[in-house]
Amino acid sequence: MALSAIRPGCPGRPGYTRRHRTMRVWSVAAGVTLLAATACSSSGDESASSDTTTLTLGYYAAAGDPADTTMRELVDEFTAGNPDIDVEIQAAPYGDFFSRLRTQIAGGDAPDVWLSDGVLVDEFAARGSLLDLSDRVAGLNEDDFHGIDLNRTPDGEIYGFPQGAQTPVLFYNTAMFEQAGIDPPDENWTYDDLAAAAEQLTVDENGDGTPEVYGMRVHSSGFTESWWPMIKAFGGDIVTDDNTTVAVDSRESRQALQWMLDAIGDDGFAPDGVTTESLGGPHQLFANQMVAMIFGIYARSLPAISADVEFDVAPLPTGPGGERGNVAIVNSWVINNEAGDEAADAAWRWIEYFAGEEPQTRWAELGEAIPINRAVAESDAFLNSDTAPAGKQVFLDALESSEDLGVNAVWAEYTGVLNENIMATLDGGADVDTALAEAQSKAQEAIDRFYAESS
Amino acid sequence: MAQSVVTGRASQSAARPPAGVDNRRSRRRKDRAWGVLFASPYLAHLLLLMLWPLGASLYFAFTTYDLVNPPEWTGFENFTRLLSDNNFWRTLGNTAYFAVLFVPAQTILALLLAVALNQKIKGIALFRTAFFVPVVSSWVVVAYVADSMLNPRSGIANTLLDWVGLPTQDWLQSPALVIPTLAGVAVWKGVGYMMLLFLAGLQAIPEERYEAAKVDGASALQRLRHITMPGVSGTTFLVLVLTLITTLQAFEQVFVMTDGGPNGASELTVLYMYRQGFEYFQMGYASAIAWVLFLLILVLTIVQLRLQRKWVHYA
Repeated sequence: MALSAIRPGCPGRPGYTRRHRTMRVWSVAAGVTLLAATACSSSGDESASSDTTTLTLGYYAAAGDPADTTMRELVDEFTAGNPDIDVEIQAAPYGDFFSRLRTQIAGGDAPDVWLSDGVLVDEFAARGSLLDLSDRVAGLNEDDFHGIDLNRTPDGEIYGFPQGAQTPVLFYNTAMFEQAGIDPPDENWTYDDLAAAAEQLTVDENGDGTPEVYGMRVHSSGFTESWWPMIKAFGGDIVTDDNTTVAVDSRESRQALQWMLDAIGDDGFAPDGVTTESLGGPHQLFANQMVAMIFGIYARSLPAISADVEFDVAPLPTGPGGERGNVAIVNSWVINNEAGDEAADAAWRWIEYFAGEEPQTRWAELGEAIPINRAVAESDAFLNSDTAPAGKQVFLDALESSEDLGVNAVWAEYTGVLNENIMATLDGGADVDTALAEAQSKAQEAIDRFYAESS
Repeated sequence: MAQSVVTGRASQSAARPPAGVDNRRSRRRKDRAWGVLFASPYLAHLLLLMLWPLGASLYFAFTTYDLVNPPEWTGFENFTRLLSDNNFWRTLGNTAYFAVLFVPAQTILALLLAVALNQKIKGIALFRTAFFVPVVSSWVVVAYVADSMLNPRSGIANTLLDWVGLPTQDWLQSPALVIPTLAGVAVWKGVGYMMLLFLAGLQAIPEERYEAAKVDGASALQRLRHITMPGVSGTTFLVLVLTLITTLQAFEQVFVMTDGGPNGASELTVLYMYRQGFEYFQMGYASAIAWVLFLLILVLTIVQLRLQRKWVHYA
């Protein structure tokens, strides 16, 4: 722009005059001003008209993903029903969305309302970026929705309203079970039953010692579907005292990890880390029919359905202590603490809209999340829909008995420490006792650093 | 464009008849205003996008700053925490290991390739382009290609090993192999650029020296050792400094290829810093890491500058 503005009337050319020079200075100045104006324009368009409120709405989804498409359709329907609200969408893939969000918050430029991964609500709330929704939630009938309690802080505040729920259950490939002549899993299954079936389902056709199909996935960097529920099923704890005391270094944890190590090693019914990565990562195994069973959250239905896998779900098996270790993540809408009253009201209207029957049904049909609207979750349309899995009630039962995933203000940091140490033992490099001790002390350090500083 | 405008103006004023002193002074003032105007985009860039963040990060390094609430001054707390942070030292160790493998490998290979491609043979441009293609590709693309080549089950790397009867490897999944593998991929991506620098250096060596050496009966190896290498020692120095700095700042590659895995074995310092700042809300601590890393790079570069006197010859 600035360059093309200089081009006419080049000095040194015949006919170049003082008037030209003056014009040139003006055009350069105009160009610079224009550039400056473009740079500032992103923050200057809030005063569209006094009777409409502009609501900036953030969520994570890959562009063109079915979730992205559906969300945009729902936004259109929302604005059609609420002509006084203009919605400005800010969407990005998961990782980008959250790293950008943190810098947006620093710059005072975060969306008015955004979809938060359930485990991150506390992180943002504890630092004061979220609006307390307790009063607004009090105006609703809490029994109409799943997951509100999981978002309640120890002090009783609520900073996120459920958008969709996730809880791991046992996914199994019905065709593989039939072929092997094994009865499908049921609510009476224990970890021993799981191991026995998984061994039978492991197939090494060419006899080279490397199975082509494994019975069960055990090794996964996504610990919601791996060591977290397993340790709990063996009677262990990860964090206690309102999620501020790490308690993972226990006999029960060692037993759970030993069960996992046996599955990967001696029993050989679960792929190790290298095999898992070679086959495309932990979340590809079930959809690619490389494993017969996984612990999977509701969202794993989507890739399995897309790949035409015949599958169903069963409750998590019970561990030696009779526990299943059910945990849940409630992805939630949160409102920016910096949003003005009008924007906050508009944001709450969006949240209420999304919790309604139509949007919840649409979202569930995607295979993305368990509806948080109980009426929808218990409706015939959801429970007996044509899309797999047939046993959707299993998710609802698991959700009822779920604990949260140890959420606190430093969730990403402390679970990162735990995961790294535990995965190091599962990869065979680290001693279980040392790793658990290290995991516990380092994770506790991260938690104490925050809570000591803020108290 | 800006350059041609300036030179055009200069030649024009030189052609004008001499004017009075006052006139000259006002012209000089005007020239200065013009200079500032033309430099203003760069000055604005320097002030707003470089000096300001630099100063801010130095300040943050002495605070706890969670991006949400205003920074709180904590003095040297971040730096004392760094000293006892085993994870930080581990990432620094990983980075050093990466540098020790990558810097010499890339420099030597780039020189050898430049020598090989510094010839007048048919289709030489094709070879030069081939080595340069990874340089202009983005890390995401290179990572995707490398990932599929290095897949332990289906990648071509293991297929070849298997074919010649060698044991296959878990390239990116083995904690012991991941850094050497990453260094190898980084060489593949970066060698073309350094090769180009060497090519430019090689072309500055007078042909007569080689001819004289040939007449004196020097072998190809002797010519490489005694003419080429001293001849490009200036370029070698530049390549070493640039490579070491980019290595210590390496981020994209591990971010897209391993995310620091398996189990932290390839977590380099900048990735660790990124996590602290952008995932764990600890921008103060991340800034402290950045400044320690900067000081390290500075010291290493000064050492390199000092050492160059011993081996770099400028013709």
